[in-house]
Amino acid sequence: MTVTENLSRQPAERRGPLADLDTPDTLEALFGDPDDLANPVGHQAFVDADERGDFLPAGRKVLEAYGIGAEFVPRALGGRLGQADDLARVLRTVFRHDGALGLGHGAINLIASSTVWAAGGADQQRWLASVLLDNRPTAGAITELAYGDDLARTRLRATERDGDIVLDGRKEVINNVARAHAITVLARTSEEPGSRSHTLFLVDPATVPRDRLRFLPRYHTSGMRGTHLGGVEFLDCPLPVSAAIGEYGDAMETILRCFQVTKSVASGATLGLLDTMLRTVTGFGVQRRLYGRTVAELPHAEAELAGAFTDLLICDAMTTTACRALHVLPRQTSVYAAATKYLVPEIEQGAADRLAVLLGARSFLREGPHGAFQKHFRDLPVAALAHSGATVCLATIIPQLPRLARKSWFVSSAPDPALFRLGQTLPDLDFGRLQANAGPDDQVMATLLDVGQEVQSDPVLRELCERLVGELRALTVGWRGLSPRNRTPFAGPVGFELAERYAVVLAAAACLGMWWHNQDHPNPFMRDTAWLISALDRLTTRLGYDPLPGAGDAARHVFTELLTRHAEHRAFDLVGRRLF
Amino acid sequence: MTTSAPESTAQVVSSEEIRDMLLNLVASYLEQPVTDIRSDVKLLDYGLDSIFALTLCGDVEDEYGIEVKSTLAWDYPTIDAITGFLHEALSERV
Ligand SMILES: Cc1cc2nc3c(=O)[nH]c(=O)nc-3n(C[C@H](O)[C@H](O)[C@H](O)COP(=O)(O)OP(=O)(O)OC[C@H]3O[C@@H](n4cnc5c(N)ncnc54)[C@H](O)[C@@H]3O)c2cc1C
Repeated sequence: MTVTENLSRQPAERRGPLADLDTPDTLEALFGDPDDLANPVGHQAFVDADERGDFLPAGRKVLEAYGIGAEFVPRALGGRLGQADDLARVLRTVFRHDGALGLGHGAINLIASSTVWAAGGADQQRWLASVLLDNRPTAGAITELAYGDDLARTRLRATERDGDIVLDGRKEVINNVARAHAITVLARTSEEPGSRSHTLFLVDPATVPRDRLRFLPRYHTSGMRGTHLGGVEFLDCPLPVSAAIGEYGDAMETILRCFQVTKSVASGATLGLLDTMLRTVTGFGVQRRLYGRTVAELPHAEAELAGAFTDLLICDAMTTTACRALHVLPRQTSVYAAATKYLVPEIEQGAADRLAVLLGARSFLREGPHGAFQKHFRDLPVAALAHSGATVCLATIIPQLPRLARKSWFVSSAPDPALFRLGQTLPDLDFGRLQANAGPDDQVMATLLDVGQEVQSDPVLRELCERLVGELRALTVGWRGLSPRNRTPFAGPVGFELAERYAVVLAAAACLGMWWHNQDHPNPFMRDTAWLISALDRLTTRLGYDPLPGAGDAARHVFTELLTRHAEHRAFDLVGRRLF
Repeated sequence: MTTSAPESTAQVVSSEEIRDMLLNLVASYLEQPVTDIRSDVKLLDYGLDSIFALTLCGDVEDEYGIEVKSTLAWDYPTIDAITGFLHEALSERV
């Protein structure tokens, strides 16, 4: 199809992540060539640190030199936090090198701080900003081992006593808790069951009496072995009343809003793990020779590699859309963030599993030139669960989808194109605009119909869009017909299946939006239809359709681009910037 | 709260009508006869917790064409309490 007409609608000036694709960004440049054995922050150094079960000190120094803490501090408070998709890309760089660092010195800071930006007082915000701007670790002690994601049953108690707040109880499996200079703690402040009985507190561990705070032994994990997961026990520990973050009883609501940010950003960040796995296996594929040719030249291997690259592009389209929706469609992101946090780790894990098969015997080795693969492969499932697992994410959207089916699909209009335009700067993140649940206006999904209209002249894209629109129609009928019970915590498997299918169609809509609205992308591959066809073909296959015969050519283009990016050391995401 | 309904739908709704609507709604969620649902029992005691509150608020918005806070059922934990709140909100609108 012709895209010139669309191109003319684009702003001429190129800003944001598309401004320069040929020089590595500041943080990536500090990490340097990961395959260089002499690089103190290369893959080998991280694999060795992981074997020791610790963070790599040189890796932490890189993050300090870069000033990673500022990434989590809103610009209004002197930091660099403006746009969620920018933050996701910065953290993706860290995850590309090391998951433990990406979580423990990256994403966890957002989990710990977002509730303070959303609901904290000015003094709390200034203090936490100073902690982060000094690159000191922070922790978010939200979940309890006994109740997992069922936060309303939190037991750690905060009571008022003689003008103080007194914390009593424990939190376990908390990242960095023993090293943190600031800890946000979710506590019960009323014995009433329900969702108005909890309050968040901001704790400065340096100022509480030492005998009232006890750190519990570290937990060791299968992946992300370098992370310091610990526990903390408060023993009638006094805090000033000013430690409360926001109003008493507001914690659940604050968390429901803030975790939309953390889920979206974390999903975009972990793509760095898949990027490195794909890079490692592509390198193996082009070097290893079997039957007189390279592995990558075997048609099956070629298809697997192209498929993994496509998966990564799908995931980036979905996470970038979810992140930008926090700015453009803040009323809707309760659904987008959870759908993304469900589907993206699912797609990543599938891709990683197939890459492992391709890498064969080497996928099991914890050392040598492909050791980084095995390490990232262990890290991925841990990263995926660390901040609410797949089932819980689906359970979040199930009650909300019937209403979208009734009120929004085939009705809502397409969103402001700024949602998708990578070169367009968005207003800074405003936590106050996020809502605990989504309104009946699924504009990302409306993109499927909107951009679907524009591709009618391309027979393959037309067919793929027809399938997807058909699926949305089936989802509309399915959700409308679902018994009310299936919209409650007692939802049966049928609700979960419909929610899974929704997430897949949503991902397709995100791909269409990202393609159509980025026709000023400096890389012609991103303007062309090949990646989009491959992406939609993979997503419809996930829905149970047979692969479309016409999509084969597209996959070949995708594979060629993969080899080019691999040779030029470029990221495998939508932006495709040079890494080193 | 804000009222956003078109003029034509703004009409007086009695407390009884609101309570009946909510009783039927909750009965349908639980797949129990409406006669088994009591309006003075906390929804939580029926096992309908935080996530359900989100569903309920959407249904109420669609039923009456008004916007309510998503935390409606957190702040008004029984059908009677929600009825009182909605009755006042709907009367104000008229
Ligand atoms: C590496 C790592 C780091 C972590 N760091 C932190 C941290 O820094 N701070 C912190 O507070 N926590 C942290 N956690 C804890 C983490 O957030 C919890 O593990 C997570 O919330 C899941 O809890 P759970 O595994 O106990 O599952 P549970 O919530 O106990 O769930 C058990 C099972 O029930 C299913 N389930 C739960 N709810 C529903 C539902 N509504 N419908 C259907 N099925 C459901 C789940 O899918 C799961 O299979 C970390 C965990 C890991 C692995």
